[in-house]
Amino acid sequence: MIEMLTLAKKELTDLRRSRLLLVLFAFLAVAVILSVVVASADFRLKIADYRHYLDALKAAGSTAAAPAPQLFPLQMLRGGMEYLEIIGSLFAVVLGASMITKEKGRGTLALIFSRPLGRYAFAGGKILALSLIWATTMGALFLVIVATLLLVGNAPLQGGDYLALAIVAAHTTGYLIMWSLLAMTLATLALRTGTGLILALVLWLVVVLIIPQIGDTMDPDNQIPGGLFASLQVDKSHEQAVMAHFTGYETTRDLIEQTSVTKQYERATFAYLGIKNEYNQQSLSFIWAGTFNNTLWLLAGLATSLGAALLSGTKKTILRKAP
Amino acid sequence: MTRWSAVMVHELLCTTRERLPQLLLAVFVGMIAASAFIGSSARASVTGVYQEALRQGLTTVSNPFDALSPLYYARNTVIYIVLIGALLAIVVGVNSTLRDRQARTADLILSRDVGPAFYLGSKLAGLALFVLLLLALSALLNIGCISVVTGQVLAGGDSARIAGLYALAWLFMLPFVALGMAAGLHAASSTSALLTPIVIWSVVIFILPLLGTAAHPVSLLNPVSPPPAPQGGFFAATSSLVDPLSLGEQFKHVGALILADPQATGTMAGGILTMAAFAVAGCAAVVMTRRTRMRRLLHD
Amino acid sequence: MTATAISTTALTKRYGTAQALNELNLSVPAGEIFGLLGHNGAGKTTIVNILTTLLEPSTGTAEIGGRDIGTAAHQVRSTIGYLPENVQFYDNLTLVENLLFFAHLSGVQAPRARIREVLKFLDFTGHDSQRMSSFSKGMRQRAGIAQAILHEPSVLFLDEPTSGLDPQGVAKLREIIISLNTQLGMTIFMNTHLLAEVTKTCTSIGILSAGTLIYQDSMAATLESFPAQESLEDIYLHIEASQRS
Repeated sequence: MIEMLTLAKKELTDLRRSRLLLVLFAFLAVAVILSVVVASADFRLKIADYRHYLDALKAAGSTAAAPAPQLFPLQMLRGGMEYLEIIGSLFAVVLGASMITKEKGRGTLALIFSRPLGRYAFAGGKILALSLIWATTMGALFLVIVATLLLVGNAPLQGGDYLALAIVAAHTTGYLIMWSLLAMTLATLALRTGTGLILALVLWLVVVLIIPQIGDTMDPDNQIPGGLFASLQVDKSHEQAVMAHFTGYETTRDLIEQTSVTKQYERATFAYLGIKNEYNQQSLSFIWAGTFNNTLWLLAGLATSLGAALLSGTKKTILRKAP
Repeated sequence: MTRWSAVMVHELLCTTRERLPQLLLAVFVGMIAASAFIGSSARASVTGVYQEALRQGLTTVSNPFDALSPLYYARNTVIYIVLIGALLAIVVGVNSTLRDRQARTADLILSRDVGPAFYLGSKLAGLALFVLLLLALSALLNIGCISVVTGQVLAGGDSARIAGLYALAWLFMLPFVALGMAAGLHAASSTSALLTPIVIWSVVIFILPLLGTAAHPVSLLNPVSPPPAPQGGFFAATSSLVDPLSLGEQFKHVGALILADPQATGTMAGGILTMAAFAVAGCAAVVMTRRTRMRRLLHD
Repeated sequence: MTATAISTTALTKRYGTAQALNELNLSVPAGEIFGLLGHNGAGKTTIVNILTTLLEPSTGTAEIGGRDIGTAAHQVRSTIGYLPENVQFYDNLTLVENLLFFAHLSGVQAPRARIREVLKFLDFTGHDSQRMSSFSKGMRQRAGIAQAILHEPSVLFLDEPTSGLDPQGVAKLREIIISLNTQLGMTIFMNTHLLAEVTKTCTSIGILSAGTLIYQDSMAATLESFPAQESLEDIYLHIEASQRS
């Protein structure tokens, strides 16, 4: 255990002194802040449009009242969450792979493994370090998010909103640790230094971008700009009646999407932030009931990557040579 | 064989022998082949939904997918080129220049009568040829798959449009090849050589469009054009700044025009010129690399 | 009168504030096997990098076969061959594919025939279609010599050529270097730490210390001039020590 802590401490010191972590955090923070700024500007435009519309109605002598666009502050995080989903996981892949490649490149593996370490101490130290790094980074990032929502978005956040944000931060931390550990495992198993990183990038491409893209493309409502049902002038209640005849197709599409852990992460976090309309302004217990399977799948992904990183990070695997 | 062609052949040989670009290549070609079938499944579902809505008396409008051109089935490939094609271009570009620094062969080359500009220019030409061959193969595969899905051989005009799309894809991928090569030449480590161009790619594809149009990153993965951007003060200012830099959106726009997407409006000239300008700037940056830069040791 | 193969005049190289070479004046006659000795950091690799046109000097000039390395760099590159320390190749390519690439870059006519000829000369046949990733250190070194002599250079630069080789590898390399010099008439300039090898291989030596050439003479004259010293190693240590004092 002490040796594991020593290894983790070395990693943390190493990362703290490298520019990589700083650049990574700054990039994610800027991307998330920009997305809130853009969402806030977008909302202000909608409000302006609404006022013009009301003025036009008044000028025409109409007394009809139209509902004003409502601001749900957490929904402004949609772009930011999608950046964490796509670019955050990309950084996690690079960080995870570099945990092994830098040791291989510097030739320090022989120095570490020539000492009396426990079988899983090396992998354990790395896993601990990665977990602490992501927990700290996400903690700081979500503080930035809260500050941005309060200052840029002028959002009146309530107690429940803070809790929802904390749950989303926990999901994000788990999601990013999972990607780092998967990349670390592949870098460990690969015989050549660059191979693990590119294998992890291919996996990232398939899971984060391609599978969700296929699911998205198969959604009939995504086939027409503005939505198929809107173009057919079919309202929401009738939409469900029509789609009830396509349960087989929808189940297949859903299964394809569910194979991507990114989609599981997205479904859970979008529900807690109220981005998915059916969960907007609902209680946390209602959201948990609707999305606990997504959270569990995410946890299963995390547990799998944890096990794989621990089992593959042994001296025998890392120091093996190409045949 | 001239020196120029020797370097090009060498580049093709090295690139095709490396397993990792091969893996990305397999994903790219596989998705190009699958795209027509994904499109076919989406079309069948839309037609089914329309007929059900009609049967229930919920709509009176005509089926939006009636008289759909076979080119509809190629629309997904535009997204795969933006995602997988650009990443493949980056990876082959990075590997190309990193190879000489990792193996220290830069010294063997530069101690011969070969200038850096000539050598890097030849390498770039070799990779451009590699991408061209890859896209030619993908175009044939795409035409074949669409023919299978529609049950008839694709007409000459439509085939020419698909060939045009892949020619455009070549122009789109070239700046990413150059970006990868430049990163391989300038980065201090192999990790940052790969990371830097991928971060730039993610900014160009996912962040710039958000600044100009408020489009969410994931929605950019859908080949259907997003609703028009709000034209208010903030977006009027940002879109004029970032739109020309949003290479992915430029490619998607010109691609939609080439594929005769009824929703696409405007002209191709601006997008093509932007992509060409990026390609020229990227290639110039690579070719102008100094001798000392090529010899710099990697830190990992 | 013997022509000069390599000459430098007040050659200086600075890296920031560090002085790697200090007004170096060196002359190596054609047909020599010249061994440059010196401690780690003495500037041996820097001088090879400058003479092979890979690095530009801060001040001073150098000529290879009477051609200036600055103003006639292209011609100089056509007349030299270079084997860096720990030479590496494109591992995914075969031996012949690697050599073909370098032969084309050097503008070799009928490269395949030339490669066959060189490999036969180096007694290195039977590995043509083998990928370089499976090569041992000794095999890589011989492939390194092959790429360096494909274009029949008149001057060959070898940077620590025996580094990492086993005794058999060292003996084989010595045999190759001597035959390149005696049979093909190449002038050879080598940096090395293995002083016993220098005694057996080189016809003249120079000693570099902190960027300055502190000694240069033929091997025979060197051995004769220090009768009290038993070996070249003793002579080298003696010269270095007297320089310091």
